[in-house]
Amino acid sequence: MSQLYEGKKGEKCLFMGNQAIARGALEAGVSVAAGYPGTPSSEIIENLAEVSKETNLYVEWSTNEKIAAEVAAAASFAGLRSMCVMKQNGVNVASDFLLHLVLSGTRGGMVLVPCDDPGALSSINEGEARHFAKLLEIPLLEPGDFQEAKDMMKWAFELSEEIRNLVMFRSVTRLSHASGSVELGEIPQTDPKAQFNYNGFILDPMEGPIVSAPVAYKHGLQQDKLKKAQELFEVSPFNTYVGPENPEILLITSSGATLYSREAIQLCNAKDKVGLLKLGTTFPLPAKLIEKHLKTTDKILVVEEVLPFMEENLKVLAQELAPRVGQKTFFGKRSGNIPITGELNPDLVATALAGILGQTYAPQNPEYTTKATQQAFFNAPTRDLTFCPGCPHRASFWSIHNVLAEDNREGFVCGDIGCYSMAFLPSGFSTLKTLHAMGSGTGVASGFGKLGQFGLNQPVVSVCGDSTFFHSGMPALVNAIHHKSDITMVILDNSGTGMTGFQSHPGLAVDAQGNEAPALDIPTICRAFGATVEICDPFYPFKTQQIFHRLLEMPGVKVLIMRQICALSPEKKRKKAFEMSVDKEICLGENCGCNKLCTRVFRCPGLRWDDETKVATIDEVICAGCGMCAAICPSGAITRKEAA
Amino acid sequence: MGTATLLKDPYNLIITGVGGQGNVLASRVLGNLLADKGFSITIGETFGASQRGGSVMSHMRISAEASWSPQIPQGKADMIVALEPVEALRVLHTYGHPGIKIISNTRSIYPVGVISGDQKYPSMDELKKTIEELSEKTWFIDATSAAMELGHPIFGNIMMVGALAKTGVLPIDRDSFEKVILRTMGKEKTPVNLKAFDMGAEMIN
Amino acid sequence: MKLFAQTQLLEDVQGKGLCVGCGACVDLCPYFTTYRGKTAMLFPCDRETGRCFAYCPKAEVDYDAVYQFRTGRPFQGTPIGPHIEVFKARAGEKQTECSFQCGGTVTALISCALDNKIINGAVLTGSDERMPKPMLVRTADQAQQCAGSKYSASPTLAVMNKEAKRGVRKMGIVATPCQATAIAQMKMNPTDKEDFEDPVSLVIGLFCTWALDARKLEALLEEKGIQGTIIKADVPPPPAEVFVVETDQGVTEIPLSEVRKIIPEGCSICPDMTSELADISVGQVEGETGYNTLIVRTEKGAELVKMARSQGYLVTENLDGDKVHNLAQASGNKKKRALAQAQEKGLLNTPDDAGRAAMRMSQDALNKIQP
Repeated sequence: MSQLYEGKKGEKCLFMGNQAIARGALEAGVSVAAGYPGTPSSEIIENLAEVSKETNLYVEWSTNEKIAAEVAAAASFAGLRSMCVMKQNGVNVASDFLLHLVLSGTRGGMVLVPCDDPGALSSINEGEARHFAKLLEIPLLEPGDFQEAKDMMKWAFELSEEIRNLVMFRSVTRLSHASGSVELGEIPQTDPKAQFNYNGFILDPMEGPIVSAPVAYKHGLQQDKLKKAQELFEVSPFNTYVGPENPEILLITSSGATLYSREAIQLCNAKDKVGLLKLGTTFPLPAKLIEKHLKTTDKILVVEEVLPFMEENLKVLAQELAPRVGQKTFFGKRSGNIPITGELNPDLVATALAGILGQTYAPQNPEYTTKATQQAFFNAPTRDLTFCPGCPHRASFWSIHNVLAEDNREGFVCGDIGCYSMAFLPSGFSTLKTLHAMGSGTGVASGFGKLGQFGLNQPVVSVCGDSTFFHSGMPALVNAIHHKSDITMVILDNSGTGMTGFQSHPGLAVDAQGNEAPALDIPTICRAFGATVEICDPFYPFKTQQIFHRLLEMPGVKVLIMRQICALSPEKKRKKAFEMSVDKEICLGENCGCNKLCTRVFRCPGLRWDDETKVATIDEVICAGCGMCAAICPSGAITRKEAA
Repeated sequence: MGTATLLKDPYNLIITGVGGQGNVLASRVLGNLLADKGFSITIGETFGASQRGGSVMSHMRISAEASWSPQIPQGKADMIVALEPVEALRVLHTYGHPGIKIISNTRSIYPVGVISGDQKYPSMDELKKTIEELSEKTWFIDATSAAMELGHPIFGNIMMVGALAKTGVLPIDRDSFEKVILRTMGKEKTPVNLKAFDMGAEMIN
Repeated sequence: MKLFAQTQLLEDVQGKGLCVGCGACVDLCPYFTTYRGKTAMLFPCDRETGRCFAYCPKAEVDYDAVYQFRTGRPFQGTPIGPHIEVFKARAGEKQTECSFQCGGTVTALISCALDNKIINGAVLTGSDERMPKPMLVRTADQAQQCAGSKYSASPTLAVMNKEAKRGVRKMGIVATPCQATAIAQMKMNPTDKEDFEDPVSLVIGLFCTWALDARKLEALLEEKGIQGTIIKADVPPPPAEVFVVETDQGVTEIPLSEVRKIIPEGCSICPDMTSELADISVGQVEGETGYNTLIVRTEKGAELVKMARSQGYLVTENLDGDKVHNLAQASGNKKKRALAQAQEKGLLNTPDDAGRAAMRMSQDALNKIQP
């Protein structure tokens, strides 16, 4: 994406939100960017890593989000502008460090960019980072469109330097992963030098050592910084109002909900009745600005994603202002006008708005809707998530499932975050029985593995991806070994951070910027920890199952590395290892002895069931040629031939 | 601002398909092309987990004046480009109306529930009939087969762009397409994509 | 025979704890498997009929039909079942010495059948450490490696199914009574499979009062601190009331009361002590080591015994009348006990509205067994 760096001032570009954020950081003169991959945040670091080939910029995929924050903080301490980027869950991981950082303060501008995922489109929770801004007592900025995503980013760095503290810049999926027109600004051609000064007086924010003590003093300072930010927010150009002088309803919104709200007002033909106050600075709220607008109306609708964060802060403020602005009626999530969970869209906002205005919002012709609903119900089968064709996880879970079933001691698998999370679904043969945070599979397994003294005699297995292993799987494994827990940890090593698009990790010989890097060998690490380690290729299920059975019978901590490159990896993509075919004469189909094992149970998208001829077929368009279906076919009807 | 005008402002286009069919790329190419013409473009995309066998939808708002929400309101799509026919029907359900136009690929990709036998995939005739009933104008083209002739099913996405251009609902011309492809994909990949664009256009009559 | 499939099999057999791990349902398809002596279901199968259910000796066994098919007469309920002759037997001089349980009769007969190409291979049970390990052997030498009783339930029929799928025909099988029942059902081609070919041409049945759960036996031996490789296990005649385990490091006795706890539930409803559906049945002789009781049941069995005798594989003698009487009494008692158990559990001749039965037999036969 050379446009990201080479685009000239004044040029208009169609940028994805994450590109706009990256460009904003470049225009702010960012020197260091660190992150951990996570949808919808990953493209920010990816784009900056691309640019780092052209300019003096350091970009890394850190081992986890806490380390990303620490790496970025170091740059700030040395006087450089830096950012750390993560999805919302990452802030949970980083929060321990961040809670110290906000007390010690920063030097060069430092911005924390969490990308939230309202509606959990690519997440397994809807947690949001905004609450951390309050917890961390730092300013929170939320861009309302693509242009702002760029412009506010630059301002975020300035603000951070103004108050000498961390600033949170929060994006959401519908900004990060949407694209819009952005007018570019200048990228400064500066050459910042890093120097860490620590010889000054302990309380000197720019010259002394950087520590969080004395806490009482620093905490007071932190609150002062927040007040200063609030003053700047009062006059921020990112808080805008459009609408009549005295609107019937004041709609207060921020972030991605701004675009929905703007459209909803139009859908309701309510430009004359509804005023739109869009806040770019959502914590702490600009009290004077809010006071000015509260005076203009009695009814306030708050539109935001996900929880009523702004709504509650506004209500506290409105109560404080009540003697001057009078009692207001608030509509929003707490009143039930706006759904309290899930992501919003123009229709949901329009429905809420129409309701308060006493109108009805009917987006579709009811007759058409009825017909379309009926047709979709009967003729549009749902598309459940599944592992990709040729995915090694399907093969791995096939073996894990079968071995545990065969073993017949009610063994179970504890899982965590990655594509392999989907193994709780039928596509992964419903193998995962617990599913929590990054690295939690092995931590939870470590605990289960100590319950033998209370009579638990089920085999305990955990699964963990290669990137997750470095992120947080290692401490869990260490815990299990040190406490002599009885577990088998399966490391699903697909050579990259598969779910988010093959970002590098410490196990690979390349870093985010494409430089050669020392690769840390997972088996060697596990052996050094003291685990019994085996390695297998899940595309050879017989051998894999043999090894897994043997490990399950052994006491202590065993690690089985199931190694096979992700089917979508750039290395493999569009290259078939095998040409697959089905011998229709041999295929047992629905008969006793098979009953559609490949399509009914194995469920690879590259297979089809021909209902007329009652045999399985290969979908040439979809099949990735991994050969697994040949390995499982009970009659030998599916065969594989090395692809030319 | 370019000289081209829109049939409607904003013009709402949905490109839909299944993870891995390249509809994100198609929407970027189209978006860049129309942005080059001076239009204000907003594209909303759903991808990530959805890449894993799920439906993938791009909402494109094309306007001479303003930025619009990255999600099209219900019943407000003007044109659907479907890389997979059942996805056309799914989109119609939420975003359709009697005046909508549709270009749909005819090659099905079975959802995992159909492969496993838990659900049924309708016959192509049934599907075509249903889609026709729910729209003003439809074009069905076998882009995937044509793409296979070109060497890979992935070219289906660019064929659909070519087909969309030929319908004339949006100001998309071959030269601007070539410019965008050259810029975003490089010289090497331009000829095959141009060929795909032309083949797509030829399938519309 | 009432035909059902996996769903009902799981409900009736696994669900009620009746599975004895015989292996009849294993390796017919990808859904049933066996590991360390236990039968496991890997994935559900939604077929309405299946060989898994049809072959299972604990699910809807129609005794009249299966006896009619194998012996030409419905189930009569006689104590030792249909037979031609009863002998006392031991291995002859042609048979080399190895670790026989009693007289080496089974090994001698299998060797004779293999050497004379009456069978192409024999499915026998060897050992893998302390787990029974069924296998297909092709030579008399290999057969000798499997000599000796294992006492734990072995999924022998899994190997039969697997080898049959690979095209092996003319197999000989050494089977327990439940397995002989399953084989008999298999021979009937109950699911009317078009391309069905009977892969088994000889069944040598073993006398059996019960088998032991393989995993539980392994655990019990460990609990008792029994070291070394097991050479032999035996239950000496009453009033001993012990289970004797001989390893290369010595002999240990375990009280029978403890051993009874690890008998699979399914054995308690088994009415067959002498493998009545086999071609030949072999067991101990009361009070005599070094000999077996031999029951010849079919013409094919009689021919093999005759050949084994003439070629020096086997020596036979008359069995004393009182020993035959005692065998019949013990066998009759097992029938009585098992059917009473089955009745109590609602598993015998269960009326349609009350569900499915484990066994069905005529009232005449029942009256004979339980006068």
